[in-house]
Amino acid sequence: MRAPIQRYRNILDFALSSLLRRKGRNLALICVYTLVIFVIASLIFFVQALKREARELLIQAPDMVVQRMVAGRHDPIPTIQAEAIRAIRGVEAVQPRLWGYYYDPVFGGNLTVMAASDQELAVDSVWVGRGVARSMRVNEGDLISLRGYGGQPILFAVQKILPEASELVSSDLVLMSEKDVRALFNFPEGLATDLAVTAGNPRELATIAAKIVELFPDTRPIMKTEILRTYEAIFDWRGGLMVVVLGSAILAFIIFAWDKATGLSAEERKEIGILKSIGWESSDVLLLKFWEGAVVSLTAFLSGVLLAYVHVFFFSASLFEHALKGWSVLFPRYRLVPALDAYQLTVLFFLTVLPYTAATLVPIWRAATVDPDAAMRS
Amino acid sequence: MGLADRINLKSAKEAMKIRSPFLLMMALLAGPPSVLWAGPKPSQNPKALVPKGNCAVCGMYVANFPDWAAVVSFKDGGTAWFDGPKDLFTYLLDLKRYAGKRNPSDITAIQVKDYYGLKHIEGRKAFYVFGSDVLGPMGKELVPFATETSAREFLKDHHGRKVMAFHEITLETMKELE
Repeated sequence: MRAPIQRYRNILDFALSSLLRRKGRNLALICVYTLVIFVIASLIFFVQALKREARELLIQAPDMVVQRMVAGRHDPIPTIQAEAIRAIRGVEAVQPRLWGYYYDPVFGGNLTVMAASDQELAVDSVWVGRGVARSMRVNEGDLISLRGYGGQPILFAVQKILPEASELVSSDLVLMSEKDVRALFNFPEGLATDLAVTAGNPRELATIAAKIVELFPDTRPIMKTEILRTYEAIFDWRGGLMVVVLGSAILAFIIFAWDKATGLSAEERKEIGILKSIGWESSDVLLLKFWEGAVVSLTAFLSGVLLAYVHVFFFSASLFEHALKGWSVLFPRYRLVPALDAYQLTVLFFLTVLPYTAATLVPIWRAATVDPDAAMRS
Repeated sequence: MGLADRINLKSAKEAMKIRSPFLLMMALLAGPPSVLWAGPKPSQNPKALVPKGNCAVCGMYVANFPDWAAVVSFKDGGTAWFDGPKDLFTYLLDLKRYAGKRNPSDITAIQVKDYYGLKHIEGRKAFYVFGSDVLGPMGKELVPFATETSAREFLKDHHGRKVMAFHEITLETMKELE
């Protein structure tokens, strides 16, 4: 029992020392290999985490949003329509929503200004998201000034800064009373930005949507599933864009790895010849070279994935966040919730480690089966 | 039309083709994510009946179909869950086979889920729509409603065949549902 284990140990030992003998070459290989794994894994982690955040975000979203369209564009909707929609069977609640964008010239970003529907908010006071608080450098109790529709400054007291947990959603949010929103934007009474519809049974949403369109042909109901699909498509699209850019990097790596792994140097050929002439079997030589390849690719895979994890979940993917997200200038500063997808990691493993190991084995096998005398002479 | 015009038209069309799905995608977005902020989540009603166990007729796991779950409660405190009203009726119409020693007089309550509100309602007073295009976990269903008017409206929306009261449902009905 001990002998085979001892044999494996010796071979592994020999593999490690022969890796160390060619330190420079192998270090360079591991570095490039790690870099490629790092970039791909970062991308996978990041897109995955963003998609999950979006999905969780949308759990809170209304089942359906009804917008009024004028000349193909989104227009304020009369709140009176909410009553008619509420009367449709299967509708549980209809909530007129009042929101809009406010461009702040000082820090050049858009804020989302929204009327608080259920929170008790006094006139002239606001709740702001963390992003807004950071950019405006305000704390609870401070005053902020927004420009009204006529250019006149309006002062608001910051009553509360929204909790950190909701930062992805609420970073650029300013919540105020309905009266203040109307005053700020000169939004006419009796109109809302859109209507949020909740259905008792989500199965009925399609029927409800059909009835709404029949009732008000100028409206457009948008279902939660459609919003979800759109968000996913955007993340996929952005992720896809990055993949195209990465494609060339991966190709370069494949060429590099192929060259390093398959091109047996005369020195290596000689080494194999010597090993065979001192009594190594072909299977031992294969095992030795397999371990060498495995050590290189496993080290690179593990360190690449680890670095990607740290990059995405501790540094919020700072290297390519600008390419992948951004609704406005006010980037939410948050930590993504770590989400590991075993399936994608496995795919990454099989796409990188296995081909590399296989690529190293084929030429070795060819060299190992040659007569040692011929190998040493060549 | 000159060749140049035609080429212009073609490239304009192509530009539209490329851009329009993206524009549509953007237009579909119902506002920025910020408007989804809904404040603290409300807690769930602790008293609500929670489906548990397997369907007493077909053996399917009831918790997977909370929207359809029906339940029969007995005097001795026992309950029998079903993954839809169809299985509930199969059970009630052949109590001897499924419930063994229990008699119809042992039943204290029959509850089904109202289709529109997804809340439990008294099964004996509910109205059932037969032959609609809405399918339950076991295929064709008797869709339950709290009021007759909602049942009638559902019948119209989903091409149902008839509205039935609890006592009108017989073994014949069940045969037609298969």
